[in-house]
Amino acid sequence: MAKKTYDLLFKLLLIGDSGVGKTCVLFRFSDDAFNTTFISTIGIDFKIKTVELQGKKIKLQIWDTAGQERFHTITTSYYRGAMGIMLVYDITNGKSFENISKWLRNIDEHANEDVERMLLGNKCDMDDKRVVPKGKGEQIAREHGIRFFETSAKANINIEKAFLTLAEDILRKTPVKEPNSENVDISSGGGVTGWKSKCC
Amino acid sequence: MDAPPARAGDEEDEEEGDEAGPEGALAKSPLQLTADDVYDISYVVGRELMALGSDPRVTQLQFKIVRVLEMLEALVSEGGLAAEELRLERDSLRREVAALRAARPAAGPEVNLGPDKMVVDLTDPNRPRFTLQELRDVLQERNKFKSQLLLVQEELQCYRSGLIPPREGPGGREKDVLVARTSSNKEERTIIRKLFSFRSGKQM
Repeated sequence: MAKKTYDLLFKLLLIGDSGVGKTCVLFRFSDDAFNTTFISTIGIDFKIKTVELQGKKIKLQIWDTAGQERFHTITTSYYRGAMGIMLVYDITNGKSFENISKWLRNIDEHANEDVERMLLGNKCDMDDKRVVPKGKGEQIAREHGIRFFETSAKANINIEKAFLTLAEDILRKTPVKEPNSENVDISSGGGVTGWKSKCC
Repeated sequence: MDAPPARAGDEEDEEEGDEAGPEGALAKSPLQLTADDVYDISYVVGRELMALGSDPRVTQLQFKIVRVLEMLEALVSEGGLAAEELRLERDSLRREVAALRAARPAAGPEVNLGPDKMVVDLTDPNRPRFTLQELRDVLQERNKFKSQLLLVQEELQCYRSGLIPPREGPGGREKDVLVARTSSNKEERTIIRKLFSFRSGKQM
C-alpha cells in the first residue's frame, strides 16, 4: 500500500472572546496570511495543517470556534474531542482578559481532563493600545500551570511557535504506537464519524 | 319607555315648534315636547280662556289648567334632563368604541401569543430563519464535506506526485470515492437543500 501522509492526528481547539483574533491566528499558521477585515466565525470551522516533530508527521486538525455567546451551545460540544486548547485574549481588550477565568471554567466543564491548555495574548504588535501588561498574562498562566505566549497574527510573532509547542506537549504525553486509523474525524465528541479514507 | 331613543333619533327637529308659532306646540308628539312648548301651550290656552270672559267657572277651570300645565312642565323638564344624560353617555360610549377599534389592529396579534412566543416579520431581511439545531446540523455537514474535500485533494496530490502509480489505484478505492460522493450528494439534498429551498426554488 502507499505511504502514509502522517503518523499522528492531533485535534486542537481555539477559544476566547469574540474579536480577539482566533481565526487570524489560525489563518496565519495554516496559510501564512493575514486579513484585516473582521468576519465573525459562524459557529465552528476548522483547518488542517501537517507538521513534523521528532521525526513524526503530525496532522493538526485545528477547530476554530465562534467567540460570540449565542454560539456557545454549538461550540462547547467540540471541547470534548480536543487534545489541546488554545485560549486567546486580546492585549488591547481588558474585558477579553477578564473573561479568561470564564473560558477556563468552560474547559473544566466540557473538555477532557487531560487536555493540554495554552494561553495566548494576541495583537502584541499593537503595543500603543495595550491595556493588559505581559506580566498579568504570565501570572494567570502560572497560577493555572499552563504555557503562555504573546502573539501577533498580523506581525507573525510566536504563532508557529505556539502551535508547535502545544503539539510537542501533546506528543510528549502520547503513547508511542502505530496509528490505527487514517480518518479525520470531524464529529463533535464522538458523534458522526467522517469518511474513512484508505488513501495514502 | 321609548322616549329617549325617539328623542335621540332626531335632535335636529327640536326647534321646529318655534318656527310653527305657539300653536305648533300642540301639534307636536308628546315625546318631543320641551318646556318651551309647554309655555307656548299655556300662552295659547290662557289667551282662549281670557276670550271666554270673567265667568267664575272659567276662573275655577283656569286654576286647574295652570296646575296641569305646571305638572306637564315638570315632567317634560325631567324627561329632557334624562335624555340629555343618556345622550352624553351615548356619545362617550361611541368615542370609546372608536378608540378600541383604532387600537385593535396593532394590538391584535399579540393577544393570542404565549409568554415565550414572538412575532416574525416575514419582510424583515434580518429575521431569524433557522433553529440552532439546524445551524448545528449544517455546520457539522459543512465540516464533514470540507474534511472529505481535503482528503480527496490529498489523494489527488498523491497521484500527481507519483506516490501512487495509477494502476495501483484499483477499483476498491475508486468505489470508496464514488460511494462517498453519491452519499454526500444525497445528504446535501436532504439537509442543506432543504434549508435553502426557500431561495433555490425549483432549481433542483
